[in-house]
Amino acid sequence: MKTLQSLSLATLLLAGGAWAGDHRYALSPTYAAECGSCHVAYPPALMDAAGWKVTLQQLERHFGSDASLEPQAQREIASLLQAQASTRSAHEGKGAAPRLTTTAWFQRKHRPEELRGYPLPKVPAGARATPMAQCQQCHRRAEQGDFGEGSLQPADGRR
Amino acid sequence: MYFPRPLAMGVALALLAGSTLAASPTSPAELQAAWLAEARQSNPALRAFSAERGRSFFSTTHGSDWSCASCHTSNPGQGGAHAVTRKLIEPLAPAANPRRFSDAAKVDKWFGRNCKDVLGRACTAEEKGDLLAYLLTVKP
Ligand code: HEC
Ligand code: HEC
Ligand code: HEC
Repeated sequence: MKTLQSLSLATLLLAGGAWAGDHRYALSPTYAAECGSCHVAYPPALMDAAGWKVTLQQLERHFGSDASLEPQAQREIASLLQAQASTRSAHEGKGAAPRLTTTAWFQRKHRPEELRGYPLPKVPAGARATPMAQCQQCHRRAEQGDFGEGSLQPADGRR
Repeated sequence: MYFPRPLAMGVALALLAGSTLAASPTSPAELQAAWLAEARQSNPALRAFSAERGRSFFSTTHGSDWSCASCHTSNPGQGGAHAVTRKLIEPLAPAANPRRFSDAAKVDKWFGRNCKDVLGRACTAEEKGDLLAYLLTVKP
């Protein structure tokens, strides 16, 4: 880990922003600020470039909210997402409003048997919310891009 | 998608240099003065903003599912949570959170988004001024 951490940020970014294999994602400050204000900044490497492209094309009507960006931030985030997006078909973002939580990879990693001890986050009645999109409820350091095992905390250990 | 290396490098360098988004420092008093001047163009009789009007604006749903309080809670001196994603939101009242109303671009961006989501239109200068007048009365 030490040696990995001492690698320059540029190298990490060129490599897709992830510490290979251990699911800790380095997030750029712009991405973390702009795409991490209403929810966890979802790791760019967990969806494909086509999925991110569709997401960015309709930010004014983004899952029922206005998430539009200034042109400069829009350009910066678009190139970052294209550079860091996954190239694996298991990460394909599908449909008119692509989601990480519906990719084949995500669903395989979050099958009910994997989630034993991790109750789905409760959403208020009537709210059109997606419990699985609330990564931070199970991955306690999701805000820092850390989805590694050490960030997982089962229900009985909750605050 | 194929990404040529020099471009990816450029992106990485831009990121290393920190965010390229400029901050635009301001203060609650500066914002109030600008909004008052703007509001007087359509309402020359306006003397001062009203914290009372701001308070009711903050907790009214304006015909949609949400009010400002849905995410910022009915006590903006405390933190809230996004109504859909449950992401925690820091307090909106400047006395509780000095970073609020200190960056004009950020203030404009969020008034733009949140007013559209809650009112279905942009907020007027008078509404913004009343709201801030109310927030300035809130103690942590
Ligand atoms: C103004 C608030 C807001 C901002 C800003 C915002 N989002 Fe979202 N986003 C939402 C909401 C609300 C949802 C829906 C969550 C749900 O279904 O429970 C959502 C959902 C998503 C999802 C789907 C989550 C899933 O189920 O996999 C993705 C992907 C996403 N956002 C990406 C982004 C990106 C990229 C940015 C930055 C360009 C961004 N968001 C900025 C409010 C926002
Ligand atoms: C209800 C709890 C819960 C939620 C919500 C949740 N996860 Fe997970 N996640 C888990 C558990 C449990 C595991 C470990 C599964 C296993 O052992 O393979 C996991 C594993 C992972 C892994 C590692 C997979 C691997 O190969 O080791 C990643 C990355 C991940 N989740 C990302 C996310 C993201 C991104 C979100 C939000 C969009 C999210 N998770 C939401 C419970 C959750
Ligand atoms: C659906 C959730 C939601 C609703 C409803 C909502 N907001 Fe917000 N608001 C946010 C989020 C998320 C942020 C940005 C995150 C942050 O800065 O903590 C924000 C930020 C702001 C800011 C930025 C302040 C600063 O200087 O940092 C202002 C002003 C604001 N909101 C006003 C309002 C007003 C006025 C209303 C009602 C018309 C409202 N909000 C309704 C979620 C909401």
